[in-house]
Amino acid sequence: MKTSLRDKTAQVIIIILLSLLCVSVIYPFMYMLAVSLNVGSDAAKGGVYLWPREFTLYNYEIVLGNAVIRHAYLITIGRTLIGTFIGLLVTLLVAYGLSYRQLPFRKQILAYVLITMLFSGGLIPLYIQLNNLSLLNSFWVYIIPSAFSAWNMFVMMKFIQGIPEALIESAEIDGANPLRILIVVVLPLSKPMLAAIGLFTAVGHWNDWFAGAFYVSDQNLIPVQTFLQQLLSAQDISTVLGSNNNQEALARGTMLSNVTLMSIKMATVMVSALPILCVYPFLQKYFVKGVLIGSVKG
Amino acid sequence: MLARLSKYRWQYLMILPAVVLLFLFSYIPMAGIQVAFKDFHIGGTIWNSEWIGLENFSFLQDDQFWVVVKNTIWIALLKFVFGFPAPIMLALLINEVRNNTFKRFVQSVSYLPHFFSWIVVAYILQSLLTLDGGLVNQLIVNMGGDPVFFMGSTQWFRPMIVASGLWKEVGWNTILYLAAITTIDPQLYEAAKVEGAGRMAQIRHITLPGMMPTIAIVLILSMPSLITVGMDQIYPLMNPANQPVADVLDTYILRSGLQQGYFGMATAVGLLSSVISLILVLITNQLARKFNGEGLW
Repeated sequence: MKTSLRDKTAQVIIIILLSLLCVSVIYPFMYMLAVSLNVGSDAAKGGVYLWPREFTLYNYEIVLGNAVIRHAYLITIGRTLIGTFIGLLVTLLVAYGLSYRQLPFRKQILAYVLITMLFSGGLIPLYIQLNNLSLLNSFWVYIIPSAFSAWNMFVMMKFIQGIPEALIESAEIDGANPLRILIVVVLPLSKPMLAAIGLFTAVGHWNDWFAGAFYVSDQNLIPVQTFLQQLLSAQDISTVLGSNNNQEALARGTMLSNVTLMSIKMATVMVSALPILCVYPFLQKYFVKGVLIGSVKG
Repeated sequence: MLARLSKYRWQYLMILPAVVLLFLFSYIPMAGIQVAFKDFHIGGTIWNSEWIGLENFSFLQDDQFWVVVKNTIWIALLKFVFGFPAPIMLALLINEVRNNTFKRFVQSVSYLPHFFSWIVVAYILQSLLTLDGGLVNQLIVNMGGDPVFFMGSTQWFRPMIVASGLWKEVGWNTILYLAAITTIDPQLYEAAKVEGAGRMAQIRHITLPGMMPTIAIVLILSMPSLITVGMDQIYPLMNPANQPVADVLDTYILRSGLQQGYFGMATAVGLLSSVISLILVLITNQLARKFNGEGLW
């Protein structure tokens, strides 16, 4: 029975360690939520660890009442939807086209793609090119340059090549052209893979702050994450409150003295993170599958 | 030949958008590398700018540049030393859990941070570490210590980068290892138990060897990332106070190029780092070929 006692101790230690890990992930969000739901001036005194002490929704009222943030939200949603759709479309088309092994020049085209994975011109030449194409300071800078991903293409191509050829051949015998085969045969069978790639693409768009920070100077074009990035190093609260159209919130300014930069920051970050927290449980099965298929041919 | 090509006209049509996109956003920028050897100013064109030889490479004589190289290597090394073994250990721990509900819960929770941006992670750090009311400093003060200005300290920057990198990606990086463990033949464990092997012996002699091919692949694939240490992670946390240790190649390129307008010089630095990463990728492929029998391509 000695081993079983050792075994039980080991189990307890493992469970404690893993629980600590879980706490380290969950706690920061609970802490930020508590601070964002607390009266700012009160939270600044310290001692708010888990639950708001003086509950208020005022931080969120200010954040959601801010025209810049609302607009940034629209940009983020827009680029996530459009960017994911176009990205999937381009990737599926090229992956399907290249899945034909007898295609003349297939090897050359694959090499053309592969080279871009090995070597790049770097940030500055890309920036100059974006400037030449008049993409700087345009919404499309979020969509077009990143519409094709070589990595996703290779994963998708491997997946399509795994579809039984008999299915495609029988459609060919029925006289279907490749576009029809793609829509009727390949597309329905590729749904799990498209879901996984689509999810990663969407998260990438949602979380990107770089393009908004360096390819765009029009404040009306920045996404939420870029707004957050600007706010991160802000020294005073006017960055948020100073924006126009926040007059409504300012008018009810009796509470304003209770708001701190930190409480506003926490509310903004929660607003940006909540959508991911909400969809996360539903999408889990897709992304694990996606990583595994993607790694088969790493 | 034409008949053969036209037989595949649909396929070529489908491939076309990707080919055009790569041409516009990968190949033309590759040609744009000549800016590294030219006197380019925004507003002018790349082709009309004057050739100036290696003048843009004068950064090689700049002490600041070598500090940046040192910072890059330091951060890459630290992230590798801590970041590589951590998911292997975590996967082993998760694998030892008998209770399936708890196991799934731990997995779900540990993947979660991967889906948040580095900006959000930077806020989490700020909220926990800040001087006014940050949790960690409150604890330090309560225990009688002096508050530490973590965000603006050169001493704490590297630990902060390593810890936040671990926190964000360790769970995510276990996915492959856990998948590798499930492919191990259960009969091996049965046989080991019959021979009286304890849990530790089973891990050492069955689980770890079973994970070995996956460990090798992950190790090989992580090599090219040694040069790009993650602009996404570092830039949001960088400030004038910690810049002496925080400035890496990527942030140096960004600052000198996009913010100060030294396009030629920034392109030259970028060219250098592109070449190094190409070399690393080629070495990686050789290694993979040796280890795997086939390369990554």
